[in-house]
Order: sequence, then C-alpha cells, then structure tokens
Amino acid sequence: MAKVVPADTVRLAAKKRVPRREPGRTLFIFFCILPALLFLAVFLYYPIVETFRISQMKTSGLSDEVFVGLDNYRKLFADEEFLAGLRHVFSWAFWSIVIQLPLSFFIAFGLTYYSNRMSNTLRAIFYLANILPSAITAMLGKMVFAPNYGILVTIGKVLGWKWLASADFLGNPKFAFWSVFIIATWAYSGFYIIYFMARMEQIPRDLREAAELDGASALRYAWSIVLPDLNYAIRICAVLCTVGSLKLFDLPYLMTTGGPGYATSTLGISLYRHGFINWNYGKAAAIGVVIFILSLVFTILQFTFGKRKDE
Amino acid sequence: MGELNTAAAQQDKTRYRRLKRRRHGTTEIIVTVILCLFALFTIFPFIIPVLFAAKTQLEFAYHPWAWPKSFQVKNFIDAWKAVRIDKGLLNTLIVCIGSIACTIPPAALAGYIFARYKSRVTEVLFYLILIGYFIPVQMVLVPLYKMEVALKFNDTLYGLFLPMAAFGIPFWTLIYRSFFRSLPNELAEAARVDGAGHWVVLFRIMLPLAQPATVLAMLLVFIGAWNDYLLSLILLTNQNNFTMQLRVASFLNAYGTDRMPRYAAAAIISAAPTVILYIIGHRWIIRGTLAGAIKE
Repeated sequence: MAKVVPADTVRLAAKKRVPRREPGRTLFIFFCILPALLFLAVFLYYPIVETFRISQMKTSGLSDEVFVGLDNYRKLFADEEFLAGLRHVFSWAFWSIVIQLPLSFFIAFGLTYYSNRMSNTLRAIFYLANILPSAITAMLGKMVFAPNYGILVTIGKVLGWKWLASADFLGNPKFAFWSVFIIATWAYSGFYIIYFMARMEQIPRDLREAAELDGASALRYAWSIVLPDLNYAIRICAVLCTVGSLKLFDLPYLMTTGGPGYATSTLGISLYRHGFINWNYGKAAAIGVVIFILSLVFTILQFTFGKRKDE
Repeated sequence: MGELNTAAAQQDKTRYRRLKRRRHGTTEIIVTVILCLFALFTIFPFIIPVLFAAKTQLEFAYHPWAWPKSFQVKNFIDAWKAVRIDKGLLNTLIVCIGSIACTIPPAALAGYIFARYKSRVTEVLFYLILIGYFIPVQMVLVPLYKMEVALKFNDTLYGLFLPMAAFGIPFWTLIYRSFFRSLPNELAEAARVDGAGHWVVLFRIMLPLAQPATVLAMLLVFIGAWNDYLLSLILLTNQNNFTMQLRVASFLNAYGTDRMPRYAAAAIISAAPTVILYIIGHRWIIRGTLAGAIKE
C-alpha cells in the first residue's frame, strides 16, 4: 500500500470499487432523504391537497363538512374584503415595482459606483430594517403615522401646519394604504439594494474603465451598461415584489388590521379573518387556493419571460 | 454558496478598488450626501423606541418627542412583569432551537444526496422538494391548523416549530445542495478508496466541510424563527405559550398608547437579539441571503 498512486488511477479505482447498484448505497440515499420528505409530506403536501378539498366544503371546524362545490369561490367574488385584497395585490405589486425598485437601483448604483470606506456600513444600514421582526416594524410605522404623538403629526405641530398636525394617516382610507406602503418600502427595499449591489459588483471593471475613457458620465454608464446588465436581476426582483404582495400580511395587519374599512385589506388578512376569526374554513381555504394559483401564474411567468440571456 | 469561499477574493477586489480611487468629483459628493441622508432616514426609526422607553408615562403624554429628562429603567422592569418577558423569551428560544434542530439536519442530508448522488429517482425527489420552495405559507394555514387540532399539536411550541422547519427545509436543501456541489470531490474519493462507507464519508468529511453553510443556516433560521408572527398568531392561543412577538403585539392591542414607554421597552427587548446578531454578523447574513437569491 506504500506505493504512490497517481491521482487518476485513484479516481478510476474508486469508480471500480463503488458499483452503481449496491444495497448500502440505496439505503443510504433513502435514509438521507427520508427526514426532509417526511417533514414536507406531513406539513406541506398533505395540507396542500387538503386545501383544495376543504375549499369545496362548507365547514366551521365544529360542524360537519358539507360539499358545496365551487360555492365558496362564488361567494368570495361577492365578498368586499376579498375583492379589496385582490385589488391591493395588484396595486401593491405595481407600486412596489415602480417605486421600490428604481429607488433601490439608485441607492445600489450610488454605493457601487462611488464605492468608498462608507459603502459597506451604508449597505448594512439599508438592510437592517429587513431583519427586524415585523411586529416591531409595524410598531415603528405606527409611531411615525399615529395621531397625537406620531412623528409627522409632531412635525406638523412644530411647524404650525394645521392639516398635518390633525391628520390621522392610519385612520383615513385615503392615506392608510400609502402609510403602510411607505413603511414596507423602508423595511423591504434593503433586500433589493443588496441584491442589485451584488450584481453590479459582478460587472467587469474593464467595462467601466472603457466607458470612462470614452468620457461617459455616471448617468450614461448606469443607463447604457449597468441597467441592461441588471435586466435579469430587475425582473427577478419584480417577481419577488409581486409574490410578496400576494403574501402580504404582517405589516398591514399589525398597523391597521386591514382597515379603515377595507382600505389596507390583503388576501392574507381576509384569509385570516374568514378562517380564524369567523371560523369559516371553506372560504379561507378557497382564498388559499386563489393565493396558490396566482403565485403559480407569477412563477410560471418568471420562468417563461425570466430566462437569462446567457443561459 | 460559492460566495462564502470567495471572501478573500472579494477583499482583494475592494482593496484594489481603493487603490485605484480617483479624486472626489462634485457628483460623487452630492450622491454620497444623498445616500447618507437615505441611511439616516433608514436608521432614524430605531431611535424612536429608545426615546420613548426612557420616559415616564406623564413625560410621554406631554412631550413625546422631547429629550427624556432621565432614563427610566423602571419601564423595562414594568414591561418585563406586564408582558412576562421571561416566559416570552423562553418560548421564543425553544421555538428557535427547535426550528434549527428540525430544519438543518434534514436539509443538509437531502442537499448532500442531491449534490453527490444524482440519479433519475433523486432528480424527481429534488423537484418534489423544490415545489415546497414555491408554496406560499398562507395557502396551507387552514388544513395545517385543522391537522394540528386533530393531532393535539395546536397551542404547543413543538406544534409551532415543526411546521416552521418544514417550510424552511426546501430553501436550505437548495443551499446545501449548491454548497456540497462547490466542494472538491478528491477528499471523499480518497476516503472511499480507503474503505470508508457512505455514512463515514458524510459524517466525518462532508458535514464538517459544510460548516460555513451550517453556521449561516443556524444564524438565518434563528432570525427567521425569532421574527415569525403569522404562524405563531394562528397556532398559539394560550397566553402562556405566547412568543415574544405575540406578546409585544398583543400588548399594544390591549393598552394602545396608554402604556407607550413600557411598550417601547418591551419592543426593544424583543428586537434586541436579531439586531445584535445582525450587527455582529451582517457581512455573513447579507452574503448568505444573496447566496440563496443568486443561485436560483
């Protein structure tokens, strides 16, 4: 055994020693995958199938299940709260893409292009709000927009602006959506910023040097080189915005509980209210199915239109 | 996950960039100032609870935004008693540890198989697990709750961290898969030639090599479990079992702004662990978050 064997021979020998079909190998694979599959089967696959079944039932958990077919869905599309939630999915996604992404792009570009000693610290600060518990994010949001003691109201008082001093942002249907949206922008943009930055840092330096030699300004460089290069990243983030607006629950629920009226209602909130406050499982499961179908559609869109050019 | 290995390369790059820096232009200064202003906006809300928690109730009622006259430690003690923070911290800690213990081992094992034992069957299973990555949690809440009631799992802490782990497993399987793929094969093969079995190779060689991924997973799973609100809200009903986040949220619902200083104190305590972890490990956390996002 003391003989020195070249690496190639070792590899060949290893291949011969370990035949593809050996019982130990199959058992090993089986036992390694089993725990993960068990977890998913119990807590994910089974509930997914159940969701579809329950969504066709009239049931409150205590009473017996009665099959009603698509009746729950029909009722949903006459339900003000659900419809408001559905509208908000699209408006939320739209405004996230139009406001959060360009803002994140600007910040990320500034931090990468004028990279200096502060860039890393600033990046860490921008992402900080992302890792905060949403209960706390919502609380901070309330402190900004609350009447009587909120920051904005206090600013209004100091400056003597009556309209601002007496404003009730979270209680006014016109402003509530935007108040929650601003807090969400504050809390969630950090991810887009770090993602864009990582992509921008992968752009070869030569490109920038060449652009500078040609006398291109920062703006020109951002527009003609960085923006096309980040095409894929931006589309990914757009999908994330959309899927995120489907899942939206914590922030609007904690800040306004979906109100006033249904001004900040989301699909998640109407699911929670139907299922766990009114105990109408059938309707809640139907909302779950709607969320599933919409996220499926968005994911498929990502895979068909989101293909990277270099793949 | 290759990002973790290229930390040194990254540092070299930044150093190189610093050497090559040009003189400060006017635009650069303007943009930097704007960015710093944004950063101030971002960090400003963090000061609010500190400002509030330092005040007495009376002080808060009259001058919510004035600088506190003295720092009221009493608020923290009162909050501790009112919200039973000790119990909340303990519950949350149990959920975090349980979530880590149930997420990481299954994900690591499955990720290893998908990286190193490719066959038609494992490929199919991989896509089966991948499905879990795309399922929004909201979809399964109703059946999950029904099932937990049937199993008498509801309103227990393990009834909370088991599904939490299940929802995390697909993502971490993906991460472990790409991490194991990035590891060199030679060491494992040499061991195999020496007669080591599959299990020995996995536990003695591959898993220790995967330590960076494991540390990162522990960090991020911990933060995720600590911050969870929706699942805890649905699965826990007994006040005694409430996690920190539930306690803080229900405190505000119960008292409104009448007890704001105390409430702010409770909020600070409940956010502190994640914020401290982030301040210590933000480079890691950011890099790890991106590793997940960039590979997919």
